[in-house]
Parts: sequence; structure tokens; C-alpha cells
Amino acid sequence: MHEKDLNEALWKFGGYGFVIGAVLFVMIPIYWLLIASTLPQTEILGNTGSFPRLLPGSHFFDNAQALAERQTVNYYQSVLNSIIVASLYTVLSLILCSMSGFAFAKYDFRFKELIFLAILGTLIIPINLLVIPLFLLVSNMGISNSFAAIILPWAAYPVGIFFMRQTMQSIPDSLLEAARMDGATEFQLYYRVALPAVKSGMAALAVILFLFQWNLFLWPLVVLQEDKFTIPVALTKIMSQQTPAYDQLMVAALIAIVPMLIVFIALQRHFVNGILAGAVKE
Amino acid sequence: MFPSISNTPLVLLSPMLVLFALFLAFPVIFTIFLAFFEFQGISTDSLLVVDLGIVYFTVPEVVNLEYVGLQNFERMLTDNVLHQALFNTVYLFAVLIPTMVIIPLTLAIALNSSLIRFRNTFRSLLLIPTAANTIAYAVVFIAIVAEGGLADSLFVLIGIDPIAWLRNGFWSRNLIAFMSVWRWTGYNMIIFLAGLQTIPESLYEAAEIDGATRLQKFRYVTVPQLKPVLLFIVITSTISIFKKFAEPQLLITSGAPLKETRTIVYYIYQVAFQNLELGYGSALTVLLVAIVTTVSLIQFRVAD
Repeated sequence: MHEKDLNEALWKFGGYGFVIGAVLFVMIPIYWLLIASTLPQTEILGNTGSFPRLLPGSHFFDNAQALAERQTVNYYQSVLNSIIVASLYTVLSLILCSMSGFAFAKYDFRFKELIFLAILGTLIIPINLLVIPLFLLVSNMGISNSFAAIILPWAAYPVGIFFMRQTMQSIPDSLLEAARMDGATEFQLYYRVALPAVKSGMAALAVILFLFQWNLFLWPLVVLQEDKFTIPVALTKIMSQQTPAYDQLMVAALIAIVPMLIVFIALQRHFVNGILAGAVKE
Repeated sequence: MFPSISNTPLVLLSPMLVLFALFLAFPVIFTIFLAFFEFQGISTDSLLVVDLGIVYFTVPEVVNLEYVGLQNFERMLTDNVLHQALFNTVYLFAVLIPTMVIIPLTLAIALNSSLIRFRNTFRSLLLIPTAANTIAYAVVFIAIVAEGGLADSLFVLIGIDPIAWLRNGFWSRNLIAFMSVWRWTGYNMIIFLAGLQTIPESLYEAAEIDGATRLQKFRYVTVPQLKPVLLFIVITSTISIFKKFAEPQLLITSGAPLKETRTIVYYIYQVAFQNLELGYGSALTVLLVAIVTTVSLIQFRVAD
């Protein structure tokens, strides 16, 4: 029996060791980001040999100010652009995905399987690889360098359509029948009966859609100009200078990361559900 | 399930179908088409005008469109830059697939066991990177490994010579892998955790009665039960590795050696948008999709 206890203790010790090691690995860069954003450039780089700072400095507002006064990239504008684009995209995509999901889940119509298979078929194609034809298309439509150019192409998000179909299938038919008896129109069935019934599924999808657009990089890099930059494009442009201003970059990265972390902590349940629904890695 | 009442489903589907046809189906077909052509410049003359009252668009006509047959594909055979980019991508695949299975699975098992307390707190902390912006987190890593940065200080403190991460091809390439591990460990862990929670407790109890050790339980109960989840993780990780673009792009921007850090997607980006060889870029896209599909099918076969 004694040996079994020892064995147990060893597994416990090993398990804690591994988990705590992983947590440190995850947290150190985040913690360093918080500290570095409050330091001048000379202290972010050039402390070789001395112990790294563990407490924040007092340069945060100087750095934020310097970031605002940049000649080349207007970073705060890009933050605003990213928020606008990701929000509009999320709303539009939620409407499209839930409407399609409802149609696929609750109606019979011609070519239903064929259309659904065509949508599923695009899942094997990493969608950001369609930049070349999209670039030609968008230039010809005259919408390059516009928010429409980065909102429209993936508003019909295949994963989202699939996910909404699965979710809507759980709505009992009797519920819809009852509403029909009460004289509801078909469209009222969709937004008065079906949508309220799948609230948590919608929330999970919303988080995933928002993050997808928030992280989109290759396509915006190709299609956007200076005034329309989103966060990732603006960051890479600031990085491309001979000597990157890391003091400003740390504040910029902080703005891009920390608010999302707070949102993540608040919406964690939906976030996890979204991941489990088979969200696609960007 | 209802019979179709009038044309409700079509009304519900039509906005999605228009966007799907225009921005997904058409680009897929157009990519395959372009792979057999090469051209210079884009014309604003339209080949086809679609006017639906609300939707108005033109399909681009490409000027100097020259049919080159299989030339773009033949060019791949002797394209050394492509071979190097393929090698870099395969290197990331070889390093990341085992790492992205073993570490998250170990964490999931630890956080699924009653031996460990504060499981929810640990789980949340490990998930944090999943919400981090793709480029912003890479900026933080580059600041850490930059000359004289945090990594250098720590190395000197523990008596190791600093590594020139951004000037050395080997280290830059491994930095891409390292960053990916940071970002995706929690994501894969959550999926494994969900898989572990669906394994019936009775299987473990039966193994217990047969006198199985912890490792035997893992080998004969956990692994076979987790097979579908494992396959899902391997396939999604494969796709995400083969389309890696953001981290290499930022590293190259920061002066890392192109040769060792350029991935296939980065090369496609260069070919198409820096050299404006849209035909060759499309052919490379077709190649990449073919590779990813083949690798996924092989993984599917092996799992069965």
C-alpha cells in the first residue's frame, strides 16, 4: 500500500510540474508585454547581463504618445478600422449563416444536398489561398481598398453555415408547427422562434467569426491601402522599418491583445464552445 | 422537417448563395483556370456584366492572356526557391505535428485527472494565447528575441551565450515553430479535454479490475477511444501548418534570412503580388491544395 501512495504522489508531482511549466511558458510573454510597454526602447533592449525588470516603468504614456505621432502608419486609426470591420463582418455573417442554417435544417427543397455538399467541399481549401482570383475580382468590382473588400468574401463562412445547420436541427419541429398554427409567417418563424432557440450557438459562432476577421492578415495585406489598414497590417508596416521602435510596438501589441483577453475571459464558455464546434485555425 | 412552403428556403439562402458563388466558388474555379495561363496587367474591360438591379459586377477580363499549358507546372520542377520553401514548410510540419499532439494531450490528461486541483484556472490560463492576435503576439516574440532583449538577458544570467535568433536561419525557422506551439497548445488541449470527457468511466473501472497500471490504461483505453479526436487535431494542425504565412512574413520583415524562413504561402505571396506572376502563383496554390488534401487523406487512411 505504501508503494501505491508513493506512486500516486509521483504522478501528482509530475502532473503539477508539467501544467505549471506550461502556464509559465504561456504567461511569460504576456507578462513581459505588460512590462515592456511601460519601458523606453533602451530598457526593452540592452539590459544584457542584468536581471530583467519585473515591475512596470513610467513610460507607457510617452510610448502611446509617440505611437500617435508617427509619420507613416496611423495605428489608432487601424485599431478603429479593425473594430469596425470585425463587428460588421460578425453581424453580417451571423445573419447569413443562421438564415442558411435554418433553411438547410428545417426545409426540403431541390438540390439541397448538392448545394450543401458544394459548401462543405470548400472546407478543404484554406480560404486565404484564394487571394489571387479575389484580388482580380475585387479590383474589377472597384471595391479594392474598402472595408467591403475584406468583409464580403468570407461572409458566407462555410464552417459557420455547417455549424448553424447542426444547431438549428435541434429545434423541435413541434415548436415551429405551433407557431405556424398561430399564424406566424415563415420569416417570423426564423427570427422569432428559431433564433431565440439557438442563442448560445449564435454567441459561440459570433466569438469565432469576430476572431477570424480580427486575425485575418494575408488578404488585408494584399488589398488595403494606408488609410484602411487593420491592426495586423499596421503592425507589420511599423515592423518593417530599419530599427523598429519596440517601445511603440509594445504599446501597439498590448492594444491588440489585452482587450481581446478581457473579452475572452468574459465570454469563455462561448469561446470554448466555438472551438469545439470545429472552428478553423487561421 | 417540413415540405417546402412556397419558396421560403430559396429566399433564406439567396444572399448566402450569391456571395458563395461570387467569392468562393468562382475563385476556386478561376484559380484552376489561371494555373494554365500567364499574363501581364489587368484590363477594366469586362468580359461579362451581371446586373441584377441590386447586384452589379463584372468578371475581369485579363489582357495579354496567354495560354501556357503545363508550363507553370513544369517550372515547379526546376524552381529551387520553391523546393526550399517546400522544405521549410515540411520541416515545420515534422517538428510541429508531434509537439502539437504530445504536449496538449499530456496537459489534457493532467487537467482531466482528479489528482490536480484548480483545473479550471489552469485551463483558462492555457487558453489565453488562442485569443491573441496573430501578428501582435509575433511582434512580442520578436521583441523578446531581438538583440539585447529579454531572451539575451536571461541567457547571459544563466551563463549561456546569447543566440542570434533573427540572423541565423536555423534559429529563425525554429522560432516560427516555437511561436506556433505557444499559440496552439491551449487550443488543441481543449479539444483533447472534450474528447477525454466522452470516454465512459466504466472502461477505466474495468481496466482497474484487470489490474492495469496508469500507463496501460492510457495505452489500451485512452488512445483507442481518442482516435477520432486525434485525427481531427492532426488534420486541422496540418492545414494550419501548410498555410503558415503571418509569422514568417513578420520574421522576414524583421530581417530573418529568407532562405530558411520562407514558407510556401509566403512564396505564393511574393510570386503573385511582388512579381505579379498571377498565373504561376495560381499554379502554386493548386499544388499546395493538392499537397494538403493528399496529406490529409493519408492521415485518414492511417487512422483507419
